[in-house]
Amino acid sequence: MSIESIDGCIGCGICVKTCPTDVIRMDPVTNKAIIKYPADCQICHLCRMYCPVDAITISPEKSIPVIVSWG
Amino acid sequence: MGMIMENRIRLYNGIAAAAIFLGLPILFFVLGDFPERSILKNGLSLLTIIAFCMMLAQFYLARSNKNILKAHKMGKIVKYHKFIGYTFIAILFFHPFLIMLPRYFEAGVDPIDAFTTIITTFDSTGVILGIIAWCLMLVIGISSLIRNNMGMTYKTWRVFHGILSIAFLVIASWHVIDLGRHINSSMTIYIIILAGIGILLLLKTYFIKSSKPSGETK
Amino acid sequence: MSRRKFMGLAGGALGMAAIASMGVAGWAANKLEIDPEALEYLENETDVLIIGGGMAGLFAAVKAHDAGAKTLMVSKGRLGSSGETPFAKGIFAYDPSTTEMSLDEFTDGVSRSAIGTNNPIYTRQMAEHSLDRVNELREWGFFDSALYNKSFSKPIEERNIDLLERIVITNLIKENGKICGAAGFSLDEEKVYIFKAKSVVLCTGAGGFKPNGFPICDLTHDGTIMAYNIGAKVTGKEWNDGHPGQATNSAACFDGWHGMFERVPSVESVGIRHDLGVDLNYMAYTNGNPVQMGPPGASESKKVVGGPYVPAEFSQRGPDKHDDGPKDGPKDGKHPRGGKPGEGGKDGEAGSPPGMGGVSVGGSSAGMAIHKSEGLVPINDKCESTIPGLFAAGDALGSYMAGAIYTQIGSSLAGSAVQGGIAGKAAAEYSADKKIPNISKTKIKEIKEEMLAPLHRTEGYSPAWVTQTLQGIMIPNFIIYIKKEGLLKAALAYIEELRDHHIPMLKAADLHELRLAHETVNMITTAEMKLKASILRTESRCSHYRLDYPETDKENWQAWINIFKGEDGRMKFEKQAFDSWPASGKPLEYI
Repeated sequence: MSIESIDGCIGCGICVKTCPTDVIRMDPVTNKAIIKYPADCQICHLCRMYCPVDAITISPEKSIPVIVSWG
Repeated sequence: MGMIMENRIRLYNGIAAAAIFLGLPILFFVLGDFPERSILKNGLSLLTIIAFCMMLAQFYLARSNKNILKAHKMGKIVKYHKFIGYTFIAILFFHPFLIMLPRYFEAGVDPIDAFTTIITTFDSTGVILGIIAWCLMLVIGISSLIRNNMGMTYKTWRVFHGILSIAFLVIASWHVIDLGRHINSSMTIYIIILAGIGILLLLKTYFIKSSKPSGETK
Repeated sequence: MSRRKFMGLAGGALGMAAIASMGVAGWAANKLEIDPEALEYLENETDVLIIGGGMAGLFAAVKAHDAGAKTLMVSKGRLGSSGETPFAKGIFAYDPSTTEMSLDEFTDGVSRSAIGTNNPIYTRQMAEHSLDRVNELREWGFFDSALYNKSFSKPIEERNIDLLERIVITNLIKENGKICGAAGFSLDEEKVYIFKAKSVVLCTGAGGFKPNGFPICDLTHDGTIMAYNIGAKVTGKEWNDGHPGQATNSAACFDGWHGMFERVPSVESVGIRHDLGVDLNYMAYTNGNPVQMGPPGASESKKVVGGPYVPAEFSQRGPDKHDDGPKDGPKDGKHPRGGKPGEGGKDGEAGSPPGMGGVSVGGSSAGMAIHKSEGLVPINDKCESTIPGLFAAGDALGSYMAGAIYTQIGSSLAGSAVQGGIAGKAAAEYSADKKIPNISKTKIKEIKEEMLAPLHRTEGYSPAWVTQTLQGIMIPNFIIYIKKEGLLKAALAYIEELRDHHIPMLKAADLHELRLAHETVNMITTAEMKLKASILRTESRCSHYRLDYPETDKENWQAWINIFKGEDGRMKFEKQAFDSWPASGKPLEYI
C-alpha cells in the first residue's frame, strides 16, 4: 500500500515538509517520522527522493481500489 | 594430548565466535522483515552491521575474556584484536559517507546536501550519539596507533583504552538501536546482551580484581 | 515484534488516530484531536502576498521583491515540492538566436492549433520572456537536480524573502471592493494566520478531483475557488486534460511515469502540437477496453470514426519525444490514432518496455483543464484579475496562453515562470502607493468561524468519503470527457446534493482533515462549474467534446465562458469573445 515504511529515520523532518499531500508527521514521542495518513499518499516518491538517509519505502499498490474513467 | 585438546578448544572458540559475531547478525539481516533494496545498498548495510559486530567482538578478544581464551596465546589474541580493530575502525570511519554513496547513482537529494542535513540534525539523539561514537572510535584507533609515543604506562593505557571503549560501545549501541535501518527486536536484544556482557567482563577486571587485595587485608 | 510495531505502541494515541484517519467512514461522531478553541491567532503584514510555492510563485516572489515590495510567500506545501512543479521536467525556451520561427509565426501557429481558443497576447508573452526565465533558473541550479527545493530556495534566501510553508490558505479577504489579504491555518502548529496585504498573487496552480495516477492530489483549485468566492471571474472549466494512466497500479503516478520524476529538467525548443485532448477517451468510449497503445501503426486496425477534431496541420505526429513530465503525459498511451507512442520507460521499470505502452485507463488527471486555460480571468496582460489588487499567475490564471489544447511542450512550466514574474512585478507596482489595509474585526471573526467550522461539528461526513463520492460521480469517461447533456445534468444533480447537504456537514478531527474538508469544498464547487460550463458550451472544440454537439460552432462559440458569483450567491456565466478582455455584459442564463 503506497508509502510502506520508514526505516532508519533520523528525525530531520524533511519528508514531512516535502510530502505534497501531508501524509507524514513527526511522532512527538520518538521524534521520528511516522506515516500518519497513508490513505492520502499519491505515490509520487518526493519524500523518498528528499530523505537524506533514504529511509522511505514505497510500493505502487494502493489498498483501496481507485476510481478511473473506464475499466 | 593437551595440545590436541587445546587445538580443538581453539577451533570451537573460533567457530562459536564466528557464529555469534558474524553468523547471527547475518541471520537477523536475512530473516528480518526489511524492505527490498539494491545490492549496493544491502551490501553496504551488511558491511556496516558486520563492522559494528566486530567492534562488539573486540570486548571478547581481550584479557577481560581470559577465562574463555585460556587455550589461546594472549599474543595471538592481541594480534587479532589489533587487526580487527584497525580494519573495522577504518571501515566505520567511512560509515557516515557510505550512507551517501548510493545517492551518487540515483536521482534524489544531492549526497553532500544529504550529508549536511544528517550531521546538522542536532535535535536527533541518534545523530548526536553517532557523531560522538564516531569521534570516540577515531580517538581509540589513533591512540592505539600512537600508543608507544604517548608515554603511558601499560596500566594507564589499559584503563584509558578500556574506558574509551566502554564509552564508545555504549554510545554506539544506543546509536545503532535508535537509528539502525535493520534494527528489530532480535537485533536489539543481541546487541544489548553482547555489549552488556562485554562491558561487565571489562569492568570486572578493573574493579573486582583491584578491590580484591583490599578485601583480603580486612 | 518489529521496531515499527514497537514504535506504534509507543506512539499510543497517535497510532490510534492514524488508524481512525485511514477509515473512510460515511458517518461517525467527530473525535477531535485538537482543541479548536485553543488555536493561536497570528497577524502578518506585507505589501505583496504570494500564495503558492511552485514555479509561478517563485518568480512572483523574486520579481515582486526586486521591484521593491515587501514580499511574503506562503505555501500549503514546501517550496518547489508541491503542486505540479516538482514533476514538470521540460521547460520551453524561445531562443531567437537559434529559432527560425519568428515570435509572430509561433503565436499564429499556436492559435491555429488551438482553434482560436488561445489568448495570443499571453502566448507571445510566454515565448518572448521564456529564455530570460530559463537563464535565471540555470543560474540558480535548476537544471542540476531532479529536486527543485534547493534551486528555488537560492533566490528566495539570497533576497531574504519571508517564506511560510505548510500554511493552508482558505480565504481571500476583500473589503471595500479591493483585496486586502488572506487567511489560513498551519498544518503543524495550532495556529490561524491572517495576512494583511496590499496585493495578493495567486500561484496556487489548477487542480483536479484528487485523481489517481497524477501527482496533483494537493491541487484542488483552492486559489480559483477562493477568488470566485470573493467575486472574481474565473474561466475554462469546460476544458479537460486528457492524460491517461496505466491500468496496473493506476494510483502509482511515480511508476506510471517510468522514472521521469527522477530526471533533471531539460529545455524544450519550438514544436507546436495539439496534445492532451480527449481523443483517447473517445476511442475508449466507442471501442471499449482495452485501450492499448501498440507500436506505430498497430492501432490502425481499429479505426475510430468521429471524435475530437484535430486540425490537419497538427494531426501528423512527429517522432519527437514527448516528455515534459506530467505536464505532458506519460510517454506511452498518448497518441491514439496511429500516432507514435513515445519512448517507454527504462527497461525493468514498472511497466512497459520501451516503445510499447501498456494498457491505459483514463482519468489520471481528472478535473484538471489544459494548462493555463482555467483559472482567474485576466483583465490585461499583467495577470491582473477582475478584483483590484488580486493577481494570478501560472495555472491559477486563465490566461489561455496555450489555448484549450496543449500546444507547446514545456510551455506550461515556462508560462508559469514568465507569468509569475510579470504578476509579481505588477503586484509590487500596484502596491507602491497603497497602505496596509485594515481588516475589520467582524470580518476576521466571520472568516475564522467559517475556516474552523468542520472542527466544531460533532457529527457529519468525513472529507475523504465525500471526495470519494465526488470522484465516483465526476471521473467516469461518460461524464467529464465524452459529454452529453443528459448525463451532465444527471451528474449535476448529485453534485448539487453534495453542495447543499454535504458541504455544510463536513467534519474534521485534526488539521490534516481540516485541510481535506476545505479541499473537498473547493472540488465540489469546481465540479459544479465544470458541469454547468460543459452544458452551456454546445459545441466541441479542443479538449471539450460533446457527443450531442460534435462539431465546432464558429458562429456562436468563438468565446470563452466566464464564471462568477452573482449578487444572490448563485453561479453565473458570461461569454467573453476570443481576442477580447472581459467586459461586464449581460450574463448568460444557465438553465
